[in-house]
Amino acid sequence: MFQGQVVPANQIHDFHPPISPSGLYWTVPVPERGLTISPDGKTFTLDMHDIAVVDQPHWPALDAIATPARMSFKMVWKSTGEPLKIEDASKHFRFTGTRADCQMEAEVAVPAIGFSWKSDPLETSTCAFAIIGDEVNGRYYDS
Amino acid sequence: MSENNKFRSRRDLLKAGAAAVVPLIVPTAVAAFGEQAPITANGGTDPYPIPWLDKNGSHNQPARPDLEPSHIYHFKGLVARCSTFTGMGTDNKGNRIAFGSPTTDYGVMHGDYWAGRTTQNGSFTHI
Repeated sequence: MFQGQVVPANQIHDFHPPISPSGLYWTVPVPERGLTISPDGKTFTLDMHDIAVVDQPHWPALDAIATPARMSFKMVWKSTGEPLKIEDASKHFRFTGTRADCQMEAEVAVPAIGFSWKSDPLETSTCAFAIIGDEVNGRYYDS
Repeated sequence: MSENNKFRSRRDLLKAGAAAVVPLIVPTAVAAFGEQAPITANGGTDPYPIPWLDKNGSHNQPARPDLEPSHIYHFKGLVARCSTFTGMGTDNKGNRIAFGSPTTDYGVMHGDYWAGRTTQNGSFTHI
């Protein structure tokens, strides 16, 4: 989140889950019914509510203070139909899918500093890069 | 008493001493573990991070058309990835504040993953 021009010096908030002890990075479980996939597999809708996150405006600085915060967001991916395959055998992963369009709306709150924010409706956001598809990696790569 | 007998005698004494202590230890051990549910020690059900990202010093990576979309390893399923959002919003004081940057990336993974020495199933999002 930026006050003024979108450059690192103007970043005033940065919301993400904490890094887990295993090293799993800013990744949290999606509750049942949080993810909806259309029957044709071309639209993914992710609807997350009241996630425990931290506000860390000076991330990635190691001494960046993390203030407890809450976040809700809705994100919709829609396939463009343009195929895309990404594979690296040395890293044991293969993605097969398509490029996509993606839009999001979000709300955040940082109670300790009396801050809350709500985005404009989903339709007003844009995204420069998005993909959806199937992936296999690790022990499933060769199967 | 021969040297052998002396030795046996010393060993017998140690055995007897140990046997005398056992009744004191066992109830303590039972007290410590007796009420704990049996454990399998197979590890947790949290997904593994992508191991080769260790070279970055973290298990994070941006979203790009040449990079792996998933943030969890030993995974097979559906995945979606995106980055570089631009949008606007309003704070509780009425200030208009922009969100999104080239490093604003999200992802979702849904399917099977390996953890706790067996196949698990679930959905995860990278925020």
